[in-house]
This record gives sequence, structure tokens and C-alpha cells, in this order.
Amino acid sequence: MTPGLLGNVALVLGFVFTALGFVLAALAWWAKDARYVEAAKRAAVFSFLAALLAFFALEWALLTDDFSIVYTAKNHSTKSPTWVKFATLWAALEGSILLWATFQALYTLLAARRLRDYWMAPAVLGTLFAVQLFFFGVMLFVANPFTPVPNPPTEGPGPNPLLQNHWMMAVHPVLMYLGFVGISVPFAYAVAAMLARRYQSWVAETRWWTLIAFGFLTAAIFAGGWWSYEVLGWGGYWAWDPVENASFIPWLLLAAFLHTALVQARRGMFKTWNFAYVTLAFAATVFGTFLTRSGVIQSVHAFVEGAVGPVFLGFLLLVLFVGFGLLSRVASEVRDVGGLNLLSREGLLLGGSLVFATMAFVVVLGTLFPLFVEAVTGDKVSVGAPFFDSVFAPLGAALLFLMGAGPVLPWGKVDGYAARAFSAMLSAFALATALALLLGATFGVAIGVGLFAYNLVAVLAQAGRGVAAWRKKGRGALSAFFAYLTRAREQAGAQMVHFGVALAALAIVFSQAYRVDVQKTLEIGERAVLGGVELALLRLDARDEGFRYAVVAEVEVEGVGRMYPRLHYYPTMNSPLAAPSVHYGLYNDDYLILQAFDTEAGRWATLRLVRTPLVLWLWIAGGIILFGVLYIVVPGVSLARRRRAEVAA
Amino acid sequence: MKAKYWIGLLIIAGAIGYMIWGGLGQSLVYFITPSEYYQDQAKYRGKRVRLGGIVKEGTIRYDPKTLELRFVLTDGVAEVPVFHKGTPPALFKDRQGVVVEGRFEGGTFHGDNLLVKHSETYQPPKEGYTPEEVRKLIKEAK
Repeated sequence: MTPGLLGNVALVLGFVFTALGFVLAALAWWAKDARYVEAAKRAAVFSFLAALLAFFALEWALLTDDFSIVYTAKNHSTKSPTWVKFATLWAALEGSILLWATFQALYTLLAARRLRDYWMAPAVLGTLFAVQLFFFGVMLFVANPFTPVPNPPTEGPGPNPLLQNHWMMAVHPVLMYLGFVGISVPFAYAVAAMLARRYQSWVAETRWWTLIAFGFLTAAIFAGGWWSYEVLGWGGYWAWDPVENASFIPWLLLAAFLHTALVQARRGMFKTWNFAYVTLAFAATVFGTFLTRSGVIQSVHAFVEGAVGPVFLGFLLLVLFVGFGLLSRVASEVRDVGGLNLLSREGLLLGGSLVFATMAFVVVLGTLFPLFVEAVTGDKVSVGAPFFDSVFAPLGAALLFLMGAGPVLPWGKVDGYAARAFSAMLSAFALATALALLLGATFGVAIGVGLFAYNLVAVLAQAGRGVAAWRKKGRGALSAFFAYLTRAREQAGAQMVHFGVALAALAIVFSQAYRVDVQKTLEIGERAVLGGVELALLRLDARDEGFRYAVVAEVEVEGVGRMYPRLHYYPTMNSPLAAPSVHYGLYNDDYLILQAFDTEAGRWATLRLVRTPLVLWLWIAGGIILFGVLYIVVPGVSLARRRRAEVAA
Repeated sequence: MKAKYWIGLLIIAGAIGYMIWGGLGQSLVYFITPSEYYQDQAKYRGKRVRLGGIVKEGTIRYDPKTLELRFVLTDGVAEVPVFHKGTPPALFKDRQGVVVEGRFEGGTFHGDNLLVKHSETYQPPKEGYTPEEVRKLIKEAK
């Protein structure tokens, strides 16, 4: 038995079990027989085991340096450290599709286990099996990692050095795929709801799944930003790169869906919106994969292979066709309950979701606009960060405004409490903005500070009201606060997420506005002041680290201590990669890059210092948002278990 | 919904549309070669562009002390002198395909972002390259 043989057998098994599952789900749908559903659930178990087997086969090949299959021959190196060998599985096209298929099979299995509703189950499972069949099909027929190599080499180039430069690269793609694939579950529920003509209950049932996908995507996006900051050596965390955009679009659409889904669950409104948002969010994941894998758009993330491009484009069109085809069929039947009062919680939730959707539209437009222009006029153009920044600033401000006001308002109307809280929030906004302007902040920064204060007061007002309500029932202050946090976890978690978003916005505003970026060439032993910071170049060192060659500068930085920016030379790359040295601080990050050095005598080096305020708080904000999502999601697991136990009893 | 809501929504949608359209018009960066610049100078005057071409042999002047880099960018037909402040990328050398982002000021192109193609599959241009080959290089160097 070789890894290649095992992998191919596993792929065929996975494909067969998935197809079988799809057929069983279809039979369950037509025959309305629950026994077929049980059989389809069993097929989900076997297709997951097959995917897992293929995953282990590829890891086996990577960890034992087996070059007899195309994936290792093209992407593996015996010199890589073990963790890089392990992570090489998702460092290139075929392996990343295998990871995707494995996660898809996992989600199908988990969704099958949680499905209790035999009206929904056949269509949910059928949709998930169809999506899964696509990924197994792509591997078997278009991009098979286990294709044998006639004359196996004894050494390969290894994965892209950018991916080896930081351990985060082992984590970020996994989180991203978990998020992307997770959206398939709400999408499957939406398709099932439209097929079964049961338009109301699915949003409540998928809320948990949506939050799971949203949590993974949030973690992935923050991890990606942090990776970009630590590895790419430009001192920034977000470049509006087409593939960053591709991960951001589904996140925005999921955020839009989460807000209108809340209204549908509570008030029975916005049903059509919710179907559209979920379909678009799922389509956006396929669109993102198409962008990354097709070579249509150049990017740091793009894999070179173009063969799967048309396949993903076809799949994207199919998803849109099915989603919107069903939606148009049922649009005439979908009726919202009651009229909409814009000045109410549901009104602002709709407003917020519309801002999210507009943002998603802007990102799609900005990403694809160069393609349109080239197709129409033949001119080669690019749409840079200034476009996205200029449009996102006002949209972001609108979102922060709605985010503070929405939870304060009651459903359906405005009440006295909301009016009082809102005037307190507006006063905080005015005071903080004025204070920031007095202290010399620019207009944009002052608005950012004002909106942070506004949202802080909103979160505090909510907590204050919650605590007061529990104290009225005779609890002490601490016990009332604990009750506020734990009795309505969804509200408390949402407030944590909102506070995290406000903090992230503040960090983004400051880090964009007050970034200092200077460079200078220093002789060894020379002292200089760069951007207001005194630093001295102490020495330059060259090291052979086996899989790479490193040049390290030792720099004494005033108020920080020793920093060691590096340049890494990988055998497969003909230019060095900068590995910056970052000193995180509560107010400022000092980010030191070794730009160049004297290659002849080693007497001088060019250093670049990027000093950015409040970046650390962006990562903290990411942690708070994630914690808030987990705070809502985790009891969902135990609740479901309890419910299952009750059913069993 | 009531008519006043629709009017309000239309106004907001109009404002957002105007903002997006205006933003796109302002921040569109053209990607041109030196000869394309000379064909239509008025179109690109004062605008931010990405200028692509090959570094002309023997024209690189770089002072690591002042971080001032000067070189001549050519596409085989026309030439443009380029000024850039900052460390040149490691792959920057004679006859390398590069893209510089910046503005024309007088007869010189002032760049603030210098990119070279760094892929192991990249091949440096041969003698007597044609403008089509330059196009390809620029595309690769994007």
C-alpha cells in the first residue's frame, strides 16, 4: 500500500458514498420515507471517513517524503520543518480542495446529526451532498493530488516561502475553510425551506450554524490580518488585495443575514431578504475560491493553476441559478407579518444589514472593476486602497451609528428609555468629538473617537438596564450583573461583539491616520533618530538555518530594547523575504524591517521603522468579537444535547 | 411602506451611488508603458499611474546614504527617467521588468512604490524584445 493508492481509493469511496447519500436524500424527498433519511445519514458518516482517509493519505505522503504523487512532487521539500510539512497539505491547490472536501464532509455529518425535522432533512442533506459531490468530483477529475508521478524526484521545491515564514499560516487557512464551508449549512437549510415551502422556522434553526461560520470567518480574517502584519513586511494589516476581499464579502453578507434573521425569528419579517442574503453569502464563498484559483485576478494569494477556474465559475452560476430560481418561484408566496416601523429595533436592524450588503457590493465592484474596464476600453487599470477607504469611511460611520442605536430601541416602536439612552449616546458622541478636535485630531479621527464613545455609552446603557431589571427582582448588584450576563446570553454576547467592533473601528482609524513610516541607512555602530525614535545598528549576522539562510540585524531601539529584523533567503525564491521585528505596545507598535544591507563588506544596513498607534487593540478587539460569538454559540451545543436527551427520555 | 420612506431611501441610495461612482473615477490608476504615455500625455498629466517597462541597462544610480534611486525605464520604443526615494527591491537590476506607481512631474516620473516580479518562473527579457513581450513582462510584474 502506498499513500497514492490509498488516497485514490479514498477519493473514489468518498465520491461514491457522497453520490449514494445524494440519491438516498432524493429518495427520502420523493418517497417521504424516514428510513431513507436514516440511510443518508449513514452515508454522511462513511463519506466523512473516506475524506478523512484521503486526508491521512496525503499527510502520510508529506510526512514520509513520498514524492511518487503529483502534489508532493510539486509542493513538498524534505528540508521543511515538520509543522511546515504538515501544513503543506493546504499550501497549494489540490490539497486545499482536499481540506475543503474533508471539512464539507464533516459539516454534512454534523448537520445530519443535528437534523431532527424530517420535513427538512431530505432537502438539507441533499443540498449538502450535492455541494460535497462537487468537491470530490473536482479532485477526482480535475485536480487530483494523488495522480502518480512516472519518475518520482528525490527532492521538491517546498511550499511557497511566504507560507513558511510564520506559524500563523498553519492556522489561518484552516479557519478560513472552516468558515467558508460552514456557510453551506445555512444555505442548505435555506434551499430546504424554499423547497418545502416552510419559510419561517429555518432561520431560528440555522442561527447556530451561521454563528459558527461567522465566528470562524472572523477569526480567519483577523488571523490573516495579523499574518500580513507579521510576515509581509510592509507594516500594514489589510491591503484590499482581491483575495482578502474575497474572504471579506461572505463575512459582510453573513453579518447582514445574522441581523435580518433576528428580525424574522422575532417578528416574522424580511423572509425574502434572508433567503437572498444566505444564497449570496454561500455564492460569495464559491466566488472567492474562483478568484483565488482561476488566475483571473493577480494577488499574493493566487495559486497559478487555471484549470479549475471554469469549473468553479460553473459551480458559482449553478448556485446562483438554484438559489435565485427557487427564490423567484416562492417570492409570490412569502408574506411578511405586519408593517415596518423604521424607528424601531427591526428598522435599524434592516438598516444595518443594508449597510453590510452595500459594503459587500462595493467590495465586489472594486475588485471586479478593473476587469470591466479592460473588457470595455482595453485600458489596464487598478482600483487601489484609496477607493475602498473613501467609500468605507462613511459606510463604516453609518454602521457604527446604527450599531449603537439598534439594541437600545425596543421592537416595533420607540419608548422613553430608548429616547433617554439615545440622547446620552449623542451627548457622548458630541463631547468626545469636540474633545478630540480640541486636542488636534483630524475631522475623521474625531468622528471615529466620537462614535466609539457613543457605542461605549450604548453598551453601558444596555448593561445598566439589564442589571437594574434584575435588582428590581431583589438581587444584589453583583448577582444582578451575573444574571444579566448569563440569563440572556444572546443579548450579552451581541453587546460584546458590538463593543469589539467599535474598538476595532477606533484602532483602524488611529492606525490609518497616525502611521509613521521612515527609512534610513546606518553604518554599524551608528546612532540615528528615525521618526522621533533613537536607534542604533549594533551588528549584522548571517546564519544558515538549513531550509533557509538568514541575515539578522541587531538594533538597539530607545525605550524598547534590542530588536532583530531579518531577511530570509529561501532556495526556491530568487529574492529575500523580510521578516520584520515587531514590538507591541499599548499606544504604539514599533515595527522594524531590514530593507537592505551591504552585501560586500557588511558595513551598513538600511532600516525601515513603521510606528503605528493602537494596532495592538485591533487584535484585542478581534479577540473580544470572537469571545462574544463563542459566548452565544457554546451554550447552543449543551442546549441541543439537553434537548436530545429529553427526546431520548 | 409609506411614500416618505421611499423618498428617503432613494436619497440615501443616490448619495451612496454618487459616492461610489465618484470614488471609482478618482482612484482609478491607469497601467501604462512609456510609449503609451507619450501618445496621450494630456490624459495622464497630474494623475497617479502605474508605469511599467524594463530597467535600461547601465542607468541605475542608487545612493544608500540618501536612499535616492534614479534609473531609466524603457519599453523598447520610448524612455522615461524615473526618480524613487527608498530602497530598491532585492531583484531590482538591469533589464528587469518593473512597475512604478507615482506621478509625472516635469519630464521625470516620481515613483513612491516600486514593484518587481518575484517568481521563480520569471525569465529576464532577451535582447531586442518587442513591445508585445514588454506587455507580457508588465503583466507578469503586476
